Amino acid sequence: MVELKNVSVTYSTGVDALNNISLRIDDGDFAFVVGSSGAGKSTLIKLILKEIDATSGVVMVNDYNLSKLRRKKIPEFRRTIGFVFQDFRLIPSMTVYENIAFVLRVIDAPRKYIRKRVPYVISLVGLQDKANSYPNQLSGGEQQRVAIARALVNDPQLIIADEPTGNIDPELSYEIVELLKGINECGTTILMVTHEHDLVRHFGGRIININSGEIVFDEVIGGNNEA
Amino acid sequence: MKLSGIRYLGRQGLDNIWKNRMMAFASFCVLLVSLLLVGISILFYINLNSIIGGIENKNEVIVFLDENINDSQLKEVKSKLDQIENIDEISYYSKDEAFESMKKSMSDYEKVFDSLGDDNPLLDSYRIKIKDISFTSETVTLIQELDHVYSIRAPYDFVNILTEMRKIITLVASAIIVALAIVSMVIISNTTKASVFARRNEISIMKYVGATNAFIRVPFFVEGMVTGFAAGLIATIITWFGYDAVVELLTKEVNILNIIGIGSIIPFNDIIFKVAGTYILAGGCIGALGSVISTRKHLNV
Repeated sequence: MVELKNVSVTYSTGVDALNNISLRIDDGDFAFVVGSSGAGKSTLIKLILKEIDATSGVVMVNDYNLSKLRRKKIPEFRRTIGFVFQDFRLIPSMTVYENIAFVLRVIDAPRKYIRKRVPYVISLVGLQDKANSYPNQLSGGEQQRVAIARALVNDPQLIIADEPTGNIDPELSYEIVELLKGINECGTTILMVTHEHDLVRHFGGRIININSGEIVFDEVIGGNNEA
Repeated sequence: MKLSGIRYLGRQGLDNIWKNRMMAFASFCVLLVSLLLVGISILFYINLNSIIGGIENKNEVIVFLDENINDSQLKEVKSKLDQIENIDEISYYSKDEAFESMKKSMSDYEKVFDSLGDDNPLLDSYRIKIKDISFTSETVTLIQELDHVYSIRAPYDFVNILTEMRKIITLVASAIIVALAIVSMVIISNTTKASVFARRNEISIMKYVGATNAFIRVPFFVEGMVTGFAAGLIATIITWFGYDAVVELLTKEVNILNIIGIGSIIPFNDIIFKVAGTYILAGGCIGALGSVISTRKHLNV
């Protein structure tokens, strides 16, 4: 669950990135965050990841109060969130398997569990044949699927996808969102930032539109595919 | 953290050396050169000191005794001398021995000696080796206070020159060694920084999936340490061969040095374990610390 109450963020340069916004995303929701560049989408994401702190207001993510979260607790908190980035951010020196297994090693999972869990999530994203490939041997769509598998592997409550379709072919974009939708149906909250309006219109659902640091639209719309 | 976790991180560190072999090789070379620079300077200094020590050992203070000294008085002086801390060796040199050796060294003047007949104008003496020649004058003062001592001849000029030389060499050598150590540290820290910088994306990804700082650092620590150990090992081997080659050259080719105590050069076999231990330990510590400290900046994500 993500909850923001009267949150403002002012950067040290004096730029007001977010201006007194309140927002609540319940467990099991799927929400698109849209808005032009510079509107404050990235700031929102950074806030939720505790890369930056709110200048004022309260940010609650997965029952952690981020303004009171101590530095030492950040790793523990981040393990409750999965991330998918526009540029994939896979570790180039590790194979697909190792990239995903790494997340479990970080949380000190038993080796038996790793050996079972990693192949399972790889099969979920349909990359069984690529488990031993390196990221640079994969297409953009495949790399993003690896990133989704990585976000999924430790069964997080919330997955944040920051423009996950930004670097891949349009026809593959739908596949990626389908994949996220499927994960959402299993109960994981998903927050997807995008500026591809076609995609949003196609799938529908909850749309949060941010403009100039304020939420200008937050409603559920029907998608084309449901009509 | 479980044992399997530690083993995993250790292996990651070793794998990283191979995966980042260019940077690892750069760090290795920088460490190797730094260790050699500082190590060789220190060895050079130690040997110079040892050579001076060898020369110092040739010091001799001669204590002339009263003209008509008897055996019990001789013993008394000897036991008093034995009690003086700064005296290394005492040897008795009777006036007859002195007379004989003088005759030999001045054989052209046989007639002069003949005219003296049995009348020996020389004095019995004790010849003394001083332990620490920088305290020669203090020791001489102590000896002067003893009974039956007629006069003392001490090599003050020799002592002063050596003491001054030692001071200057120590000063210059420490300055050079400290400067080299600082330069090495700067280069090493820059190299490890570059190596870590090349992997900052990797570090930030690890942070995003919730890795603790320790988890990220352990592989870097292992990697730096192993690289440092390797540099220390190779430095030992290079120093070994280089050192032996120089010693051989000096002892075989340069005869002049024999006179001033080339025998005081320390054989490498005597210090090989010290040298290897220092190199490997220093290499490991500098390598490990360098890479761990360099990761710090990238950990605050």
